[in-house]
Amino acid sequence: MRLQSKLTLFSALSKIILFLLLVVLLPPLIHRVALHNTDQRLLEQKEQVLRMVEEQGIENFILEGDNSAYGSYNLLKEEFISMEKVAPGLEVDSIGNSLRKVEGEVVDYRVLSLTFQIADQTYLLEIGRSIATIRESIDILQQYALIFLVVVVVLTAFVDLAFTKILLRPLLLIIRRLQRIGHPSTFQPTKLASTTTDFVYLNDTINNMMGQVQAAFLKEKEFIGNVSHELLTPVSILQNRMENLLADPDTPEHLLIKLVDNQRTLHRLKSIIQALLLISRIENEQYLKNEEVEIKMLVGEVVEEIRDRAEAREVALEMDLSDDWTLVQANESLLFTMLFNVVNNAIKYNRPGGKVILTGRLAKKGYELCVTDTGVGIAAAQLPHIFSRFKRLHAPDGESHGLGLPIVQTIAQFHRIKLSVTSEPGEGTTFCFRFPNT
Amino acid sequence: MHVLIVEDEASLAKELVHFLSQEHYKCDWAATGRDASEKIAVNLYDFILLDLGLPDYNGLTLLQEARQLDHEPAILILTARGSLEERIEGLDLGADDYLPKPFSLLELQARMQAVLRRKFKIKSSVLAFHGLELDHSTRRVTHQATEISLTKKEFDLLHYLLLHKNRILTRLQLTEHIWGNLLEDDYDSNYIDVHIKNLRKKLAAYITDEWLETVRGVGYRLTT
Repeated sequence: MRLQSKLTLFSALSKIILFLLLVVLLPPLIHRVALHNTDQRLLEQKEQVLRMVEEQGIENFILEGDNSAYGSYNLLKEEFISMEKVAPGLEVDSIGNSLRKVEGEVVDYRVLSLTFQIADQTYLLEIGRSIATIRESIDILQQYALIFLVVVVVLTAFVDLAFTKILLRPLLLIIRRLQRIGHPSTFQPTKLASTTTDFVYLNDTINNMMGQVQAAFLKEKEFIGNVSHELLTPVSILQNRMENLLADPDTPEHLLIKLVDNQRTLHRLKSIIQALLLISRIENEQYLKNEEVEIKMLVGEVVEEIRDRAEAREVALEMDLSDDWTLVQANESLLFTMLFNVVNNAIKYNRPGGKVILTGRLAKKGYELCVTDTGVGIAAAQLPHIFSRFKRLHAPDGESHGLGLPIVQTIAQFHRIKLSVTSEPGEGTTFCFRFPNT
Repeated sequence: MHVLIVEDEASLAKELVHFLSQEHYKCDWAATGRDASEKIAVNLYDFILLDLGLPDYNGLTLLQEARQLDHEPAILILTARGSLEERIEGLDLGADDYLPKPFSLLELQARMQAVLRRKFKIKSSVLAFHGLELDHSTRRVTHQATEISLTKKEFDLLHYLLLHKNRILTRLQLTEHIWGNLLEDDYDSNYIDVHIKNLRKKLAAYITDEWLETVRGVGYRLTT
């Protein structure tokens, strides 16, 4: 899950939880607020009534005599005020809910009760407000609060989403840049324009790390350059010394043959070093892939170069390329080496009168080029190992250093070419190159 | 022909001097870049063989120095640091050719001759032997205006043998020349034998006497 989605989800969830909490807590809260307001109002009304009684005299409300009382209701029975004489000694000062019967109808009221004394007479004042009215106002309040909350949650969720998007943009930039790196050497350190220090720090760290990787690669390159120089220089000296000895008229004939043997051995050493250097140079991306290569052209060139070897071995070399294919971003000389090696093997391990066929077809996902021979084949047990370095297979001449196929594989990997081999001992071998769609 | 060999490896320089002297070149040797720089300034060399991997001097700088001389010596780069960029840079800076180490002395001589031919038009591109003519520029072999058809490899082989006539060439030297620096699993001398056989067959109609000697166990020699 992406960070942005997580952040948005988290903020939305936290808001929803908050919202649910509010929904649960709101009714009792509002209820309490409403009750408090009602009570305040009752108290204010009480003060007013008491002031009026004081100004106008109690007689205005309650006549002398027994059973006399004052009562006032409004039309819809939402409120009432009543005063009556009560027995002395009764002291009440409270607010509470109570049921009252008003004109044959039982109504639930919030009632303030208070006893007060005027001229040794105790009176009871009651001011009531119907609870239904209170409830209604609570409901209305609740509705508004709910609507408000929903709107707030939705709005802030969107705002959060937009904000995290803006906030995380530098991270997205960093990720995109990392995705674009094909090889460490192509990485260009750039400054990140962001006020978020964490991202700047992350970017700097990556720059730093890639710098180290690049330095390591450069070292490797230099090392390979130095090694090739160090190894090939003595080989060079030996080779030239032997050539001079061979050309020297004073060299006796029986030594000439020895010298030729030496020359062969030295050649073997040289080609092993060069093969290893080639492999490591390819793996270090010291070759460019900046050419367009047409398969038909390439196959034509390889066949042209190797045709007389096939003739010398009495092997027929056939081409069957029904479609053409252009490789972009390739290295022609490496591809030539790759194909040459495979075709060369197909000729070398063939039998007189045998055949080597190169077939090229458009396949499902790209293009497939196969080299099929009618040679000795490779045992199933050996197939998995034919690309490993220094694995010696049945070289008829015993001169093979077993680096031909590893070179083929390295070049194929370098071009993202899928390489596969099938073989039937005694029948022949097929090497297939699957060129990817670009 | 006055040649300067710029090479820090004494043993290698020794072999080069030995070989080129045999081939009648007059040789000087500089083991360091500074020494080379001085020698270039003082002497008029026709040819400079330049190793790029000098310990004290950037070989490419030396190359530029040599390029600024009025008499324009031919320059051949010899390098074991065969990085592609370096080679391209060397050729861009005006080297006439380059030869990656290790190289065959015969290959070196062939390249030098090619450079001389291109640069100074000194050598004719036609080589004559036993009444036949081999023209390197047109890649034709003729006998009294009759063209003898040879394959590319056969022509290259004959040309190489002719360049180094009266010298034994081993199968390996021939193989390396014919197949260039194509890195192979192994080398197979039989291919050379097959080509030689075909060459002999094709030229038998025109040359009566023995022109190509087989030295048993060693190689072949073209005699004139």
